[in-house]
Amino acid sequence: MKLIKKDEFLNFVDSLIKIDPRRVIGVKSKGNKFIFDTLNSANELRLDYDVTILPPKKYFLPPTETLLKYDLTDKFSVEAVNEVTPLIIIGVHPYDLIALQQMDIVFRDTYQDHNYIRKREESILIGVNIQNVSPYSFAGSMGTATTEEGFDLMLTDLGDEYAIEIGSEKGEAILNKYAKIADADGDTINKVHDIKGKIASKFKKQLNFPPEELPKLLEENYDNELWEKNAQKCLSCGSCNLVCPTCYCFDVQDIVELNLRRGKRVRTWDGCLLEDFAKVATGENFREDRAARYRHRFMRKGKYLYDRFGFIACVGCGRCASACLPDIADPCKVFNALKEG
Amino acid sequence: MSNESIYLPRPATIKNITKFTESESLFELVMDDNRPLNHQPGQFVEVSIMGIGEAPISVSSSPTKKKSFEICVRAVGNVTRAMHRLKIGDKVGIRGPFGKGFDTEFLKGKDILFIAGGLGIAPLRSLINYVLDHRADYGRAIILYGCKAPHELLFREEVISWRKRKDIECHLTVDKVPEGEHWDHNVGVVTTLIPKIDFNPSTTYAVVCGPPIMYRFVIRTLKERGLAEDHIILSLERRMKCGVGKCGHCQINGIYVCQDGPVFNYSEIKDLPEAL
Amino acid sequence: MKPKVAFFDFASCEGCQLQVLNLEESIIELIEIVDVVSFREAMKEHSDDYDIAFVEGSIARPMDEERLKKIRSKAKILVALGACACTGGINALRNQYSIEMVKKGVYGDADIENNPYFDVFHTKAVDEVVEVDYYVYGCPVDKDELTKVITSLALGKRPEIPNYPVCVECKKEGNVCVFEEGKFCLGPVTRAGCGARCPSNNNACEGCRGLVDNPNINSELEVLQKYGLTLEDALERFKMFCYREMSK
Repeated sequence: MKLIKKDEFLNFVDSLIKIDPRRVIGVKSKGNKFIFDTLNSANELRLDYDVTILPPKKYFLPPTETLLKYDLTDKFSVEAVNEVTPLIIIGVHPYDLIALQQMDIVFRDTYQDHNYIRKREESILIGVNIQNVSPYSFAGSMGTATTEEGFDLMLTDLGDEYAIEIGSEKGEAILNKYAKIADADGDTINKVHDIKGKIASKFKKQLNFPPEELPKLLEENYDNELWEKNAQKCLSCGSCNLVCPTCYCFDVQDIVELNLRRGKRVRTWDGCLLEDFAKVATGENFREDRAARYRHRFMRKGKYLYDRFGFIACVGCGRCASACLPDIADPCKVFNALKEG
Repeated sequence: MSNESIYLPRPATIKNITKFTESESLFELVMDDNRPLNHQPGQFVEVSIMGIGEAPISVSSSPTKKKSFEICVRAVGNVTRAMHRLKIGDKVGIRGPFGKGFDTEFLKGKDILFIAGGLGIAPLRSLINYVLDHRADYGRAIILYGCKAPHELLFREEVISWRKRKDIECHLTVDKVPEGEHWDHNVGVVTTLIPKIDFNPSTTYAVVCGPPIMYRFVIRTLKERGLAEDHIILSLERRMKCGVGKCGHCQINGIYVCQDGPVFNYSEIKDLPEAL
Repeated sequence: MKPKVAFFDFASCEGCQLQVLNLEESIIELIEIVDVVSFREAMKEHSDDYDIAFVEGSIARPMDEERLKKIRSKAKILVALGACACTGGINALRNQYSIEMVKKGVYGDADIENNPYFDVFHTKAVDEVVEVDYYVYGCPVDKDELTKVITSLALGKRPEIPNYPVCVECKKEGNVCVFEEGKFCLGPVTRAGCGARCPSNNNACEGCRGLVDNPNINSELEVLQKYGLTLEDALERFKMFCYREMSK
């Protein structure tokens, strides 16, 4: 573990911005919310944030991404596109780091999605331990309030300085190159350990049971009337999907320039709550019912992806809960309600 | 592992087009790199027309036919309608084959009861021709094929040739015969053929493909005839947008049709509320 | 053969046709792929021989109905261009009053009896008079979506117009929800396709693209009330662009 004085940390970030060839992203304020965005100066960084509007997923699975470009004047002239901008992302919370590790599994499974994988490989993630808890978040009970992996560097605020855990050689290399650091002594290591140990208990919102019980709970409650009842309020707006760090579904579209000579195939975020998500060309809609779509997202988070990949695909960030205007998307509330029966 | 994009289609050239009906044609395609498609019967490919889009379409030909492959396309969406405007020599993009097809090894020695409704004949024809090309390896082959009206019969010439063969049985039906059309066979939905044929439930496997509405009735009737649930094999349709288990559109409860299907044993999916 | 395209306007501000002109340099590409045979805002020539008719504006008078039917009979494809044509738009606001009241309010005591130009009825969207093949929603239409519709038609493709609400595009933009800034947004039930232009510029969505196919109006009304509107004010929010859909 290393130590860096706060003013030295700002210098480190400014050096990254000025000297390192990678683009530097950090958490900034937007209105009274926070976002991941390109940093122009270390002073913009808000490592005391609670949660960002969108998770850092947007850099690896962009809202809209070109997969192919083609020339329609030729009989068949198509090339794959993979626009990779190497990034250094500063200020990722542990639940988002864990969500990205889940996405890594999905995009590497069976067919390797290099559009995602290359962007991940070319980037550096600097995490930060949570200082302020979002009122919507329940990461403390999802086991995602802290993490020992998934970062290149991990910061913990110690008042006048940050402790830095090194998670990879890439992370260590930028520290050595750009930062003035000292070794952390035993006391500091214990202090960081202490801070991390207390983070989970800062969350007021808690799942009332261990998340490991979710797959079975959801299986047993497939026909629970809660789905129908809550879905009456569902706007089918997909906001819960779109802000989720573990939602990765996408639609694919061809977009042709007005000259009809060149075009591209793009993928763009989609959501299983949206009415036409499971509609096929013949017009048949395999999840036509609002309640069936509403249920599907919870089943996916707590059971389907667990059955497939072995992880609970909800990291408790609370973004869906805060984005849902009729307030029916909160997984913590829904899961607790199912448990209470 | 290669760094090649899983979304990049390979070019294929249309070698032949056989028009079956106003909206359905059979396209024979040759991969431009001359590599065989190497598909299993029941698998699908993603067909691209650049500028229009991509659509999942099941392969209709048997893998025993190596130099080219065939897809039977109904003009319903943007891609399939555009497909019908193409001519011999035009190119399309192909990704795949994807998914799990029919287990031709497992079916060896078994009697097979093929039940096709409408365009459902397209994926079944791949398996039918595979079985015919390896006729000695399989038991009885019984084909029940139904469509809405006589003029909607697909693969007409081939169906007639099946009826002439001594080593297979082929029964046809239409939902109704509109005025002015001629029909010598059964009238009624495909389910009505099932009670009319003899088969041994212990040695027979039913292979079923058709519109969503058909499955429930066919399965019920097969079970009434004593067929065990794990003797029923289905091919399901969903929105397989990416084909590679990423985009999420083809999910039936927890399973992905593009990866775990489109061919399923009925016993695997009967408890999935979203399946049938 | 390039398709022949004609533009027509009825009761409207003609701002949607102006959006066509706003394609600026791309307009050269447009005339490379289609033959524009009639476009009053941009050219003097006119021809009645066209394949695709873009119709802007709502239908306000019997004489408009006749003209529209004639256009429909000549066009292979008819596209409703903009909010007025697609849903009646702002013009449909008058449908909440009797025609007598409307005439009185607009023309006062002027002598308009037996003058066909003033023989108005309750405003109709284009599809209340003739069959519409495609819709380009919005007040005004979005240039990118218009381009998508034109290229799709040129390629023989059904344009993929979203049936999901503005929230989808707004979330992709990473916006702070305007409800949290004290604004009353119709984005959750309004058809997307505009790129969430208004909320991205800190304004509430006014619903100019009309509603999605199956909007959850009750839930949206509850949300508007939760954030402080009375039910009456919440309903009022829909009147500007969604009068027809809300009066169903």
